[in-house]
Amino acid sequence: MDPWKLPISSAIQRKRLLSQSYTSHASASPSDLACADRASDVIYLLLIEPQVITSKFSVFSFLFVIGAQNAWDILLEEESMTRITTSCAELDKILGGGISCKEVTEIGGVPGIGKTQLGIQLAVNVQIPCYYGGLGGKAIYIDTEGSFMVERVLQIAEACTEDMAEYGRFLGKSIQARQVEMGPKDFLENIYYFRVCSYTEQIGLENYLDKFISEHRDVKIIVIDSVAFQFRQDFDDLAQRTRVLSAMALKLMKLAKKFSLAVVLLNQVTTKVIEGSFQLALALGDSWSHSCTNRLILYWNGDERYAYIDKSPSLRSASAPYSVTSRGIRNSSSNS
Amino acid sequence: MGSSNKAQIAGTGSEALFVSHKPSVFLSPAFICRILPTRPDRRAPNSFPVSTATAPAPIEGEKAMTALKSLEQEFPLLDINFQSFCASHSILTIADFLTHDLHSLAAAAESQPASLRLKEGISQVLSIVDTLHQPWLDGLELLQDAMDNKRVLSTGIAAVDSFLHGGLRVGQLTELAGPSSSGKTQLCLRLASSVAKMDRGSVVYVDTGNSFSSRRIHHFLCENGGPPSKQDDTGIVQRVMSRILRHSVFDINLLFNVLHQLEFILGSQECMEGCKVQLLIVDSVSSLITPILGGGSSQGYSLMASLGVLLKKLAHEHDIAILVTNHMVGGERGNPKPALGESWKSIPHVRLLLSCDYETNTCNISTLKHPSLAAGRSASFVID
Repeated sequence: MDPWKLPISSAIQRKRLLSQSYTSHASASPSDLACADRASDVIYLLLIEPQVITSKFSVFSFLFVIGAQNAWDILLEEESMTRITTSCAELDKILGGGISCKEVTEIGGVPGIGKTQLGIQLAVNVQIPCYYGGLGGKAIYIDTEGSFMVERVLQIAEACTEDMAEYGRFLGKSIQARQVEMGPKDFLENIYYFRVCSYTEQIGLENYLDKFISEHRDVKIIVIDSVAFQFRQDFDDLAQRTRVLSAMALKLMKLAKKFSLAVVLLNQVTTKVIEGSFQLALALGDSWSHSCTNRLILYWNGDERYAYIDKSPSLRSASAPYSVTSRGIRNSSSNS
Repeated sequence: MGSSNKAQIAGTGSEALFVSHKPSVFLSPAFICRILPTRPDRRAPNSFPVSTATAPAPIEGEKAMTALKSLEQEFPLLDINFQSFCASHSILTIADFLTHDLHSLAAAAESQPASLRLKEGISQVLSIVDTLHQPWLDGLELLQDAMDNKRVLSTGIAAVDSFLHGGLRVGQLTELAGPSSSGKTQLCLRLASSVAKMDRGSVVYVDTGNSFSSRRIHHFLCENGGPPSKQDDTGIVQRVMSRILRHSVFDINLLFNVLHQLEFILGSQECMEGCKVQLLIVDSVSSLITPILGGGSSQGYSLMASLGVLLKKLAHEHDIAILVTNHMVGGERGNPKPALGESWKSIPHVRLLLSCDYETNTCNISTLKHPSLAAGRSASFVID
């Protein structure tokens, strides 16, 4: 297999191989190629396994195996995946069972509507053990505003433990014996909390997350509260802000996909002039609005809190009431 | 061989990135590829000898990257002396040769001992290059090609099909712009399921926002095809869905990688009848390009341009319809406009604008640019 026949992405990579005398697969040992740093995995595999490319058909299937998945397999995989419950039955219903892993979900709303509460609730709920129908994972909580109240987390965690105990009694004693190991303190222990005080820290942290999560594979959710706060100041050049933000969005997408975890971004609202009138819109502008997979808007409808699915590739737009109680996010009081 | 020259080539255009880990620009070879033969199926010009008999045929369009070394057998003038002379000017392939300043090369050859033979070698390579131009086609042949290969792919939505006179044209690059949650991804998914089902072709879906929803595809497929409960229906749905391939791509270099792999596969795909790739969707292309644009550097713009060239090349040569999505940004006086700026505008053949009325859930599609339809028309439809 000669280098100029390989599906190498750039002429420069190809040239590099040629310039280092890799004129055929026989002349290159795998360790040499590992040093040729920009040679992609594809070439590497092709070169060490020349028998794979004996027929054209196997080239087709072999290359398409790398990184590609067909829709049927994705469907089967998606259906077997557990979602993270929000502890509010109606909200779960419109979300198709809860917050989905492998996706980036943006949650926005006016101050005091319960964004942080929902964030904390999710960070606790992700830890519900598998035998209670949860994920048994851990959470990363990135706090940019300083609104994370640890007493509140303890409160929600206690409520969650009580609910689990009740559920355990309902299911029978076999589970009750096991649930002893999960107390409110354990919930707190499994939340990795990062405080971020500037946008450079935030970008730095997001670059570091890849490494951190590789070492903590059981992290199943990243909550960023709020994604906008640090980016709403100190930026003279808005074009630069757009670039930085869209690069950040891609990084979060990549994390979500690579480690099969949910990314939840809490966002603030801002006023925007649309056709002469002031309207509420999510912060960070139009180009940011494309950088999430799902978007959930929280709003007041009279005295009741409502959540509305504003964007989702797979869910219908719908709204559902919820309430914030001392025990966390729960069903709306008027319905229960 | 040539590795000692890395430092000195760092000044010449695309090679400037040779030593860096930044996204690589390969504008010049891409440009070269355009002028070298790419469609050997009609009036094939001389092809280069393949150095080993067992190796598969070289990828068409990649002959510019043929090493000078492999030409030695057929052209004895290009001997080892000539090769090492070229290598000392960091010329290893035909493409290098064309992008090099030939006057300075000839001047350098003067100072060599065998200067006459070297100069003959240079003109030999140039005459090889001369025989490699694209064959010409007359209008009748073009029409025949258009009728045979450049079909339209139905989008699966009647209103959009009649709006576009049948659907998406094969061989063209179509851009779909629209604000967030205006139905761009839904239209892409709809199109993917329609092509996989009706045209029995493969669909490659490049996903940059984790927004590929197999559930929606399943929904679209079952919608017109009766209840999926029956055993054989499930089999059909499974077969159709396995023709849709999703690549998750989160940076532009990976996108280039995927596209080059695709090109490679399509080049050697004659045996894959009945499973031809007919549609390529990139949803969304703007989220990959936005992070590299601007900032006082022109590198992002050249990457964007080479992406456009590559996409159009794929579409034209392999008879694929390509759909990319673009988002909207605030323009003058707050009016939204498609992102990626002026230089992107000229790249797609067709540009469509999508908007959505949230109260009635109706999507509205209109043309921004179309080679054969009047501008400013629009159509409404609902994606259920």
